[in-house]
Amino acid sequence: MLELKRPPLMNKAFLKHINRRQFLAAGAGGLALLEASGIRWVHDNAASPEHYLPETMGPGCAFLDYDNDGWMDIYLVNSGTCDFYKPKKPIRNALYKNNRDGTFTDVTGTARVPGGTFGMGVAAGDYDNDGFPDLFVTAYGRPILYHNNGNGTFTDVSEEARLGAKVFEGHWTTSAVWFDFDNDGRLDLFVCSFVDYGTDSHLSCGDNKLGRRFYCIPRVFKPTASLLFHNNGDGTFTEVSRGTDIEKSLGKGLGVVATDINNDGRMDLFVANDTVQNFLFVNRGPDAKGKTQWEEIALAAEVGFSDDGRARSGMGVDAADFDGDGWQDLFVANVDQEMFSLYKNNRNETFRDVAFKNQVAQATRLLSGWGLRFLDYDNDGALELFLANGHPDDMIDNYSQAVRYKEPLLLFRQENGQLKNVSAESGPVFAKSFPSRGLAIGDFNNDGRIDVLVGTNGGPPLLLRNNAGQGNHWLGVKLQGTKCNRDAVGARLTWSAGGVKRSRLKNSGGGYLSSHDMREVLGLGTAAKLDWLEIQWPQPSGRTERFTDLPVDRYLTVTEGQGLS
Amino acid sequence: MRACGRALGFAVWLACAAMALQQPSPDTLLRRAIELHQAGDIPGAIAGYRAYLKQSANSVMARSNLGAALSKAGHYEEAIGEYRQALELEPGNLPVRVNLALAYYKTSQISAAAEELSKALQQQPSNRQAVFLLADCELRLGEYKKVIELLAPLEKESPNDKALIYLLGTALIRDNQPAHGQLLVDRILREGDSAEARLLLGTTKMNAQEFPEALVDLKKAAELNPQLPDVFSYYGLALLSTGDMAGAASAFRKELESNPNDFVSNLQIGVLFKQDQRYDEARSSFERALRVRPGDPAVRYQLATLDLMIGNVEQACSKLEQLTGETPQFVEAHVSLATVYYRLKRKADGDRERALVLKLNAESQAAQPGAQMQ
Repeated sequence: MLELKRPPLMNKAFLKHINRRQFLAAGAGGLALLEASGIRWVHDNAASPEHYLPETMGPGCAFLDYDNDGWMDIYLVNSGTCDFYKPKKPIRNALYKNNRDGTFTDVTGTARVPGGTFGMGVAAGDYDNDGFPDLFVTAYGRPILYHNNGNGTFTDVSEEARLGAKVFEGHWTTSAVWFDFDNDGRLDLFVCSFVDYGTDSHLSCGDNKLGRRFYCIPRVFKPTASLLFHNNGDGTFTEVSRGTDIEKSLGKGLGVVATDINNDGRMDLFVANDTVQNFLFVNRGPDAKGKTQWEEIALAAEVGFSDDGRARSGMGVDAADFDGDGWQDLFVANVDQEMFSLYKNNRNETFRDVAFKNQVAQATRLLSGWGLRFLDYDNDGALELFLANGHPDDMIDNYSQAVRYKEPLLLFRQENGQLKNVSAESGPVFAKSFPSRGLAIGDFNNDGRIDVLVGTNGGPPLLLRNNAGQGNHWLGVKLQGTKCNRDAVGARLTWSAGGVKRSRLKNSGGGYLSSHDMREVLGLGTAAKLDWLEIQWPQPSGRTERFTDLPVDRYLTVTEGQGLS
Repeated sequence: MRACGRALGFAVWLACAAMALQQPSPDTLLRRAIELHQAGDIPGAIAGYRAYLKQSANSVMARSNLGAALSKAGHYEEAIGEYRQALELEPGNLPVRVNLALAYYKTSQISAAAEELSKALQQQPSNRQAVFLLADCELRLGEYKKVIELLAPLEKESPNDKALIYLLGTALIRDNQPAHGQLLVDRILREGDSAEARLLLGTTKMNAQEFPEALVDLKKAAELNPQLPDVFSYYGLALLSTGDMAGAASAFRKELESNPNDFVSNLQIGVLFKQDQRYDEARSSFERALRVRPGDPAVRYQLATLDLMIGNVEQACSKLEQLTGETPQFVEAHVSLATVYYRLKRKADGDRERALVLKLNAESQAAQPGAQMQ
């Protein structure tokens, strides 16, 4: 059975201002619309004269359908009490339920997901395969695993799941990703660990003579190892990174994406590190004892350093087959002067940086990038790129002529196989600047056009409604694993429309501190019909299913081995 | 035929004998060459000296004069050849050695110039011209401590020598000795606002990472005297530090207009060209920089990575192997060498370099302030 998701009703006056290829702000900056969306939550960055580094790092955000009603809800992460910050009034994260009419209702209290530590980011994933997405909230301090009870509430199960405070002692966790590394049908968890920020006292950076302090460059802090947890299938997790390259690779992880860089059916990890080299952990499968072998190959793969052999300030990452050759390409955002990198997969576990050829390097020379995502925003079938930027140093305006604390969003459209900066023609929001951090993509109004949510440091979130590609057709697909992990992370979708064949790997994670709509929207361009859709489910089944005569311009659910609904 | 040939040979002999009778004596040739030189007829003087040297090849004076005339005509490489021959004949000839150094300096062979000047000063430590020229060379070579060593003893003798104070102040500031440097800057400032003082102030602020403030002084210095050596180089560096790439590129270009062999501007504009994938222009700039400071590891690294970027992997490999051998602490060079080995499928070598990168980075990390935190 097909379920038609109708777009919400929109105010006519509201719609007439929307151009065909534009994003419209419905958050900070678009003040009239902030009221309309009902999102009143504001990030508290805990800014202090001492300039503690965690202040400038958040927030993350997520699109997730927590109540499984087919509409994207929103989760926003806030700071909170920690060793250097004692807020005068309570600070909390926020869960906003989608009212299906372009507005949201704050349900944090009833859902019981307020956080409580100095939150950083969030990863949504259905780790117990019960059909309801759970939340892992990272933090400077104790991270929290919220189990979705399936009735509109969550329970903090961190301790029971063996993901309690002790496990994360000495770790400042940032981005996290749910993925099934051992293909046992259950989502495992990788958690990026940032710097060792100390426990007794925190380093102060700045010119004490002049009484000026600024955020320390992460270079001065000790690196740490990120953590990989195996899902035991009974609600508990076991750390399995010990003895692997994941433990041996000391980094300052900020962004992570789980993808398959060599098409071997095993999910690999690409981690962006700040001021140390990036890591590419390739999953070599189980050894004789059944333990998964991880090989860190970033230097050999040419994604660890800049072309000048320098470690950069990697923050946001993503992976996608942006050029449609069947191999996953990678993206990393860095700090100003370093330029961002778009790595084309050479199909032999090495990559080539093509950022310059795609206008990305030139456009990002003075920017610092955090949240980012490949997406097909105009449903023409080719992938585009959305970048959220902002300088980490809130005093940069005082000593830089060209670099600013608040920076513009960037949108790149793919034309004839090349990315082109189309920000200037994509809506007034691109003419503004924000201290952007996390970014999540998701179709909050179910119109088939992927919208964007941006967390801003110390401000309200930015909700961008996508009005692009209205003449193009699409099919929204929610994959539901039965043998494989319920979220079908690692599935490969291949489809043909108008005789053009495309494919997409369902990656997990990507961006910075954030989590995205789990559904895939397949852009069909002007083709009014989908010729066929093939789904190759991840292991343990690995089965391939092919569908024809599918409707378009709507969402449908495909359940592994059970067809469409 | 044979008779005809003999007759022809006799005729030639007669002609040569007649010419020999008409040719001036060597002394006349030399005197005439000197007269032409003094009268400013440089091509005539060059021809005259050369004619004389054909007959008296071992004349140090004629070779030295020929070198000077060639220098005057801008033929520095030929002048260097003449000076060197003169010094082979008379190694202790101080003016010839200083002239050779000047010719090297003019052709941006700064380290060769410095070498000759050092020899000249060993011979005559009080030669003020050689001291100043050597100090300037060492400054260009980035050998700031050597400049200080040379000039500091002279500071007391000549406290009002502006050139000395400027050179010494520049070296102190670039060597991160701001306290003493600032005293000298103040001394220059007492004379009123000047490009020299502004450049020194700007450089001091740059070293203290006060870039916007440095920018103000360096801009002013460039306005006061656009011809002051290094002024646009440092202005460009300050612009780079404040994120103005286009402005920096323009400043480096201006420096190179007046001083095509400026090291800093050639290196920096080369890096900008490389970033913009203008590889040929980048290579030319790096090669010019390398002429000024032969062997400079930063420039050689840029050339090696340029080779790597355009696919000359073997050439990159050889350059990087040499570089890492000479400067084993150069982390970026090890990273690039590892990349080269992996591209060449020399995995064991790549792994060895990678291990070195990890070791060097760990050592560098251990020296950071955060390493001592609890």
